[in-house]
Amino acid sequence: MIDGSLPSDAASSGPPGLLEVEHLGVSAGSRKILDDVTLSLPDRTVSAVLGPSGCGKTTFIRCLNRMVELSPALKIVGSVRLLGRDLYDREVDPALVRRRIGMVFQRPTVFPQSIFENAAFGLRLVHADEDEVDRSVMDALKRAGLWDEVHDDLDRSALALSGGQQQRLCIARALAVKPRVLLLDEPTSSLDPHGTQRIEATVRHLKEEIAVVIVTHNVGQAARISDRVAFFHAGRVVEVGATPDILERPREALTEQFITGRFT
Amino acid sequence: MSAVPASGWADWFSPTELVRFRRRHLVDRWIGRLVPIVFLVAIVPILDLIFWISQRALPTLTWTTLTTNPTGNAGGLYGPIVGTVDLLLLGLAIAVPLGIVSGLSSAIFLPFRWGEVVRGAGDLLVGLPSVILGYFGYFALVIYFGWGASLLAGGVTLGFFMFPYIARASDQAFSSVPPDLKDAALGAGARLRQYARRVAFPIALPQILSGIFLAAAIGIGETAPLLWTALFSSYPPTTLSQPTGYLTGLIWNYYDEPLTFGTEVTLAFQAAFLLIVIVVVMNVIVRLYAERSRKKLEGLYG
Ligand SMILES: Nc1ncnc2c1ncn2[C@@H]1O[C@H](COP(=O)(O)OP(=O)(O)O)[C@@H](O)[C@H]1O
Ligand SMILES: [Mg+2]
Repeated sequence: MIDGSLPSDAASSGPPGLLEVEHLGVSAGSRKILDDVTLSLPDRTVSAVLGPSGCGKTTFIRCLNRMVELSPALKIVGSVRLLGRDLYDREVDPALVRRRIGMVFQRPTVFPQSIFENAAFGLRLVHADEDEVDRSVMDALKRAGLWDEVHDDLDRSALALSGGQQQRLCIARALAVKPRVLLLDEPTSSLDPHGTQRIEATVRHLKEEIAVVIVTHNVGQAARISDRVAFFHAGRVVEVGATPDILERPREALTEQFITGRFT
Repeated sequence: MSAVPASGWADWFSPTELVRFRRRHLVDRWIGRLVPIVFLVAIVPILDLIFWISQRALPTLTWTTLTTNPTGNAGGLYGPIVGTVDLLLLGLAIAVPLGIVSGLSSAIFLPFRWGEVVRGAGDLLVGLPSVILGYFGYFALVIYFGWGASLLAGGVTLGFFMFPYIARASDQAFSSVPPDLKDAALGAGARLRQYARRVAFPIALPQILSGIFLAAAIGIGETAPLLWTALFSSYPPTTLSQPTGYLTGLIWNYYDEPLTFGTEVTLAFQAAFLLIVIVVVMNVIVRLYAERSRKKLEGLYG
């Protein structure tokens, strides 16, 4: 892999997790934001990263596609492997990592362009041909659950969409380049209940094809859409397991306190 | 039971609260009255100046004034008008690319600290008296490079004069792009320069264009950078190496001629009038354009 590309699915023989995080640590100066995080994130599964505000959830998922490197003050140790390949290897191109591992943020981040151009953004970065762009955009909008609402006027400004629609457009933009993993950082925190419900429905569908990692501080949301939960507290993983096990029979006192609402 | 107590608001607020509130209210009202007065104090001398210039410029201003060259004690403004436009375009051809590249580097490509250095240098240039830039142009371009007093030397000097204004406008324009969008673009696998070109540039463009227009409006009224670099001429330039006339130069040359001597003084007033009209028109264009593009981006910063 001298060209810096990432392994394809054909090369997937090894470990059970699609993404393997080992001894990951992030610090800002002397302060540890993440401390010795080891986690395995399986394919075709919704993994929820659950925990109180400020526990390092955002920092954690930004490590999964090297977005964390955009904050020059942060120092990163440990490894993150996609299909066995270390994403932080010097040979690996971060731009490629971010195409394979897409990301959606806390607030919708549409560009002031048409709906179509927003969805096509990632495709246009690599000179895809027009027919392929058309097809991929349509496919992505369908998978994001937005197609029925926008298909008759794709040239409309994306800024005219509602917040929930904008967030689904951001999901479509990430999906258009066919990632293996989709990272969502509290994607519904700025949305109303209806918008939240639509996003959750979309996420449940997505796991039929790809791995989804969703950050949330909402126990109900984790229960509704995730298969596995990793509970974070103060930069560490407190426990991790199947969603019903963690939410109904937590082993750790901290987890129990959090899910019963004794701290948030 | 009524919601308002019988004794009025006195039951809801303490006496000190009421006194303070009333005082604030009065202060607000007085400031509200003072603002228009201060505005008038500022605007009256400007209006008076415009009136004074128009009075001397308009009676003899005709189409011929704009289409004939100045000739001793008669003629019009044609040569200096063409020269002004040529100098401005040449200057912009240098200032616009340099300014945008400077703004791109300070706002997007350089680490924050180096960006600050570039911004500081730009502010220093803005603060540099234009007469010093004129001397610099004279010694460096006219003498050292041997270009002579010419359209080229004048245009390049004017370009360096306008450059920091455009650099500052570009820096502010690129910096005001919501940072979320940078995350979004890079998160979709864009490289920094792809983010700059595809996302930041279209959003920043209206603000950059406004900056260019304002820099041009400031540049068009400058005399000092041009006096020793473009020198002066009554005729429109035909090559880059000729001395070139410009409206402010004409004012500089003619404004103190005795009124009885001929038309030169009138010509100076007409040049001043023309400059005022051009600058006002440019400002109006900028404002209309800025308003239109603000509407188009509505919701982006919401
Ligand atoms: N670039 C940074 N520099 C310094 N501290 C940071 C930086 N990013 C995040 N932090 C700190 O790390 C902690 C975890 O932040 P974050 O990952 O955003 O938590 P969460 O998403 O769980 O609310 C917070 O205390 C935050 O202040
Ligand atoms: Mg967060």
